Amino acid sequence: MGCSSSLPDRSSRRLSGLGNPESNGVPDAKNLRVKLVLLGDSGVGKSCIVLRFVRGQFDPTSKVTIGASFLSQTIALQDSTTVKFEIWDTAGQERYAALAPLYYRGAAVAVIVYDITSPESFNKAQYWVKELQKHGSPDIVLALVGNKADLHENREVPVQDGMDYAEKNGMFFIETSAKTADNINQLFEEIGKRLPRTPPS
Amino acid sequence: MDAASSSCSSTPASESSITYYDFLNKMRNLASLDLVRSIKSFIVSFSFYTANPENDGQRVQEFFSTMEAAIIDHPLWAGAANEEVDCAMEGLEKYVMTKLFSRTFAASPEDVKIDREIYEKIQLLQTFLRPEHLDIPKILQNEAAWLLAEKELLKINAFKAPREKLLCIMSCCRVINNLLLNASISENHALGGADDFLPVLIYVTIKANPPQLHSNLKFIQLYRRQAKLISEAAYYFTNLVSAKSFIVDLTAKSISMDEIEFEQSMQAARLANKESQVEPSSRSYEMTDLGAETCPGTSTSMDDRETIMNGTSHYPYMEAEAGELTVKDVEKLLSLYKDVVTKYTSLCSAVRRISESGKVPSVPIFRETNPFFSQVEGKSEGTDLSVDLKGEQNGKQICK
Repeated sequence: MGCSSSLPDRSSRRLSGLGNPESNGVPDAKNLRVKLVLLGDSGVGKSCIVLRFVRGQFDPTSKVTIGASFLSQTIALQDSTTVKFEIWDTAGQERYAALAPLYYRGAAVAVIVYDITSPESFNKAQYWVKELQKHGSPDIVLALVGNKADLHENREVPVQDGMDYAEKNGMFFIETSAKTADNINQLFEEIGKRLPRTPPS
Repeated sequence: MDAASSSCSSTPASESSITYYDFLNKMRNLASLDLVRSIKSFIVSFSFYTANPENDGQRVQEFFSTMEAAIIDHPLWAGAANEEVDCAMEGLEKYVMTKLFSRTFAASPEDVKIDREIYEKIQLLQTFLRPEHLDIPKILQNEAAWLLAEKELLKINAFKAPREKLLCIMSCCRVINNLLLNASISENHALGGADDFLPVLIYVTIKANPPQLHSNLKFIQLYRRQAKLISEAAYYFTNLVSAKSFIVDLTAKSISMDEIEFEQSMQAARLANKESQVEPSSRSYEMTDLGAETCPGTSTSMDDRETIMNGTSHYPYMEAEAGELTVKDVEKLLSLYKDVVTKYTSLCSAVRRISESGKVPSVPIFRETNPFFSQVEGKSEGTDLSVDLKGEQNGKQICK
């Protein structure tokens, strides 16, 4: 359940003065600013995935925000596009489910996370997919993520189930491990590639 | 965008006032006469229309965009960096919204009503809601940090400019954020992200109970420059909107609390509140009435108390065991319960009255409207009293 990676690296946090590629500010077709919302049951490791992602990028020129629940990180894609992800974490407890629309409103990407050792969390993920299909922005990029892939001996949700469900719903699917950092960067790079190449208004 | 604007948008109030005076100075420059005219005529034009929050918000936002374009093209800002234009815009926002404040803030009776309802609901919740009811982990129950977050949030009504109000929310959230990060570092508590953040923010909001919460949020939403209500600021703002919405809809089902216990606690809190609003004349009556009844009870020993209670047959269930009770007893138990709560709250208000009039200097003076119940959540005011109330010494003092 816990994030196994260590503490936020405070020393590398604010090195943004060294020539920030976005210092001209305004997002354009080559420099995207993207709101990404994280959904999923509490305890599936949503925040661990993004912490891994944000801490794992060692480009000292990129401006990083590490909060407990809001994080931002910029990545460069192969086509020389940069994408600044603004990552909005949501509380996964059932009692806060009704508040989710406040968070996913206007999001360009939704990453829906479940835990491969927990079928309930997979059900919950499907609930979020349906909800976003109904109420999210029509061109939202959806990604389904099966986390805790390192715990394969406890696996209860077969890879095939996740894949099939994602395919049926036109989503990108990947299994990750925040613990071992497996597939974490791939997840965000793939999302970057799937973004429509017009700047968000 | 953040890099360019950070010097303006995240500075504390003291530095921002320098920026603001800078803006005012520029406006005094003859060369900016055209801008000043536009600003003045815009403000005056507001008095021609009846207030309508949504329209007003849109008009102000459109005006900000027009003015931004005008400033960028203006000779006074020729060759200025984005940052300088941004600071001018912050100054403009502050100037315009301070002028239009009374018209735009909590202007409709509907908003005033919602504000009052939320405030009153939180007042009730404050009396019994505990961190456990929101399943906040022990490790995050840090009174000092929470108090700091509450204070930051409460500053929101000290400002009129949307940007400054928003900064209060940001500061409050950052305190919580740091608490979470520190807990994950020093206490080895896995960083729970929003799963931990939102419950703490909700709890802090309830403890702080900032007046006019709804109007403040609406005001920021409508009048903070749209280009600025993005990213981290938007995230924290959304969290407070969501905390508010959670509180408005809060029932026993939304927290970890038994439904009956929740209803009873709300009822008791309502009674306590009502009691504290009763006219002084009727209160003095209750006080004498109470004085006669409660003094013996609070005197020397447990035995004495039981004798008196049994003797007057006021509380026949004192010796009863759960197994002996029947359904028939429910009605009587309920009425006794109400009786006890009413008397207890009367006692509280009586004690407060006495202490406020200075007759009993040793009893602390309360600022809370419901001094007794606030001890339940461990708030500093009132705690002293309720402890004292249980002591015998004070019982005697009340009687004097």
